[in-house]
Amino acid sequence: MDNATRRGAKPGLWAGMFAANMALIFVLSITGALEQPIPLILIALNCVLLVPMVKAAMQRMEDRGAVTTAVRRYNRRFLGASALYAIAMIAAGAATNYIPDASPLIWALAILPMLPAFGMIWAMMRYLAEEADEYQRHRAVQASMVGLALVLVIGTGWGFLETFGLVPHIWAWWVFPAWAMGLGVGMAWTEFRQRDAGEPQ
Amino acid sequence: MKNRLRVLRAEREWSQQDLADRLDVSRQSVNAIETGKYDPSLPLAFRIADVFALRIEEIFLREVDAQAAQ
Repeated sequence: MDNATRRGAKPGLWAGMFAANMALIFVLSITGALEQPIPLILIALNCVLLVPMVKAAMQRMEDRGAVTTAVRRYNRRFLGASALYAIAMIAAGAATNYIPDASPLIWALAILPMLPAFGMIWAMMRYLAEEADEYQRHRAVQASMVGLALVLVIGTGWGFLETFGLVPHIWAWWVFPAWAMGLGVGMAWTEFRQRDAGEPQ
Repeated sequence: MKNRLRVLRAEREWSQQDLADRLDVSRQSVNAIETGKYDPSLPLAFRIADVFALRIEEIFLREVDAQAAQ
């Protein structure tokens, strides 16, 4: 692969589009402009952007010499789980209006997204266990802490704001997309610090 | 922690990638260690020492020693 195509890889662009869409869906759903299950379906469709984002990120990492076997395996597992998550969300979102309340099927559909969510966490745990490169492992742990910080700090803050009636209610399933975005921010941040150190060949 | 990785690499005419391949780590890791952004664990430090056939303290320097050397 020549340098021109490598430089063309822009994971930040895809990540930015993904985050912007998520923010838009979030605002439209808490203001009540979009009724359930539309936000769920839109979020699931937005997940399609993760595919070119991961591809571009992989290309950039390849260029910087940061790809290990464990990273490849992790990406495959994580994308697989994300695809299942998106399908489960679409299925749950599309079916809610047609299934009578409290039917066992509703329970099953509501619980369904937990499986791929667990799959994504499992992929991360396997990555930390399989990554032989300790510096890459260190970066992954740091990035997941950024994701965790985002979810816990914003979640706690929002919860109290909601208690005092200052902000509208948000659904708890927002924690996963929020965490994933924090993970992305964390990875970008460690990448930026690396670049800051200068990266001679 | 200061280290002499860049000099030792230059002496052997190894690129960061060459050293990374010998250590079985990513090039980014070699860069992070070399620039002092990341201190390797003891096992990895021993692997680095083995690759250069030197002792750890001939590669990694205490801050005080590094200052004294300047």
